[in-house]
Amino acid sequence: MLRKEQSDLLVHTGPGTAGGRLFRSYWIPALLADELPENDCPPVRVKLLSERMIAFRDSRGRLGLMDEFCAHRGVSLWFGRNEEDGLRCPYHGWKYDTTGQCIEVPSEPVESGFCKKIKLKAYPLVERGGVLWTYMGSPERQPPLPEWEFALVPASQRFVSKRIQESNWLQAMEGGIDSSHVSFLHRGDLNSDPLFKGAKANQYNLRDSRPVFEVVESPGGLFIGARRDAEDGNYYWRITQWVMPSFTMIPPRGWHPVHGHFWIPIDDENCWTWSFDYHPTHALTDEQVNAMREGKGIHVKYQPGTYRPLANKDNDYLIDRAAQKAGRTFSGVEGIAMQDASLQESMGPIVDRTKENLVSTDNGIIMARHRLIKAVKALMDKDTVPPGVDIVHQRVRSAAVVLPPDQPYMEAAKDALVVREGTAHASV
Amino acid sequence: MLSESARAASAAEARYRVAAPNSRARAVKVIALDDESEVIIKRLAEMPWRGATFLTVLRDPPGADQTFSMTGWLRDLAGHAKGLLDEIAGADNVVMIAHAGSAPENASIVGEACSLRRVMTTGLIVSAPATPDEVLSRTLAHLRPWALMLVIATGEEYIADMLAALQA
Repeated sequence: MLRKEQSDLLVHTGPGTAGGRLFRSYWIPALLADELPENDCPPVRVKLLSERMIAFRDSRGRLGLMDEFCAHRGVSLWFGRNEEDGLRCPYHGWKYDTTGQCIEVPSEPVESGFCKKIKLKAYPLVERGGVLWTYMGSPERQPPLPEWEFALVPASQRFVSKRIQESNWLQAMEGGIDSSHVSFLHRGDLNSDPLFKGAKANQYNLRDSRPVFEVVESPGGLFIGARRDAEDGNYYWRITQWVMPSFTMIPPRGWHPVHGHFWIPIDDENCWTWSFDYHPTHALTDEQVNAMREGKGIHVKYQPGTYRPLANKDNDYLIDRAAQKAGRTFSGVEGIAMQDASLQESMGPIVDRTKENLVSTDNGIIMARHRLIKAVKALMDKDTVPPGVDIVHQRVRSAAVVLPPDQPYMEAAKDALVVREGTAHASV
Repeated sequence: MLSESARAASAAEARYRVAAPNSRARAVKVIALDDESEVIIKRLAEMPWRGATFLTVLRDPPGADQTFSMTGWLRDLAGHAKGLLDEIAGADNVVMIAHAGSAPENASIVGEACSLRRVMTTGLIVSAPATPDEVLSRTLAHLRPWALMLVIATGEEYIADMLAALQA
């Protein structure tokens, strides 16, 4: 249970809100790099944190992200002509550069300098790791560029996708740190999904569907450890990383790539679920990449030409009651990503947390909320930089390890929980 | 025509969620296992709770030549003796609180009783951010076998948030 005023602090992320200020402290993923594939390509509409913007790559390859609407009559610049180092409104020819500065107002004498008085709000947009990142906070507090490991490995070693989720970001993110649902909702996928099956660790999971959880605060967020019995009195640990505000990294399985998510608010009732897979030391195989493109693992199949999942609420997520009854899927929905999204969207656009009945195994969610609220209050009251901004907090890994029974896993697996250049992730 | 899910998951439909309580008050027993934790739960006990009871235990475990007696071992904050099994029998969740560095051997007594009664146990270690590994290990070694959920928090304020979230 969370009081409404506490929930409101986090779920509203538009301009001027506390949660909005939190998200405006970070570099956040805005677009896939291939959405702006070449110079002077068509502009793309972007809505983030309840602000409508237009993104474009100009004639010299410079990236721009600015207010979607022309300052003249409010026309959407999605109709604009991307030409000669700027985006031109097709209505009366007003033209803007990538900083949002108006550089031409054809109806006014050039000598008047009128265009210099017109400037659209713009945010930095930079490419890193196949993703275009933006920072929507105040320029004087702009942090260093993000250093998530998946974004720094060679392109051949990663795969990144995104999908629209029709719910508030927080309930989607809470699903990512709710480790106890895996044994139910996703049972069956461990042995069938090409991006999960075959790992030795799957035996530990299948032998023991009731792991014991340990939640530990980390500098940037949380470690969420799930413990199962292994051989010789040792424990098999799956350690998830959550870094504020909305990054999660799921523990790897065997030789499969490691994967994770960002949940980024579009507005208060929709978010982007970003999903990445990568291997720190070697290229993904064609088979793995093909499986990801086909919506396996944590990715989805799309409605053609969109980032909306093919299975969505308009078609009841293609629920298959026969598959549910036969046990091929637990909920009747196919695929890990949509199994999660369908249930999170079913809660309504913003779940009413005053009606929930959390139990002890929900401590990961409880602690994440606690840390988010604490960070929001410190930011609002004392201007304190929130956890997760520091790039040290971003240089982390999830891990799957076998450890002796009496050790704190975050210490015993300390080396496995941070990026070590040229070293594979710790996995069983 | 809208699908069943599209209609049901809309903001408009969210208004029609049944406006009736969907749970009854829970009984949560919060047990301080060491002196520092007792100070914390005394502060917590001053806050309003629906179903939380705050308890302490005698610190010194019985010696090898002594027979353990339940009588007077568990106490409320006023110092009144409480029967461990009676308290646990009525509990939905038992939260054991220990300070990092303590060696709460009495966790096994609470844990065994909870195991006997099939009651959920939560262990909560309050730890300073830079607590050395070996200090934390000492506490973990005693709590881990008996906690079905374990949390290591860097501040006591988390305990109040957790109990509120659990509707204690």
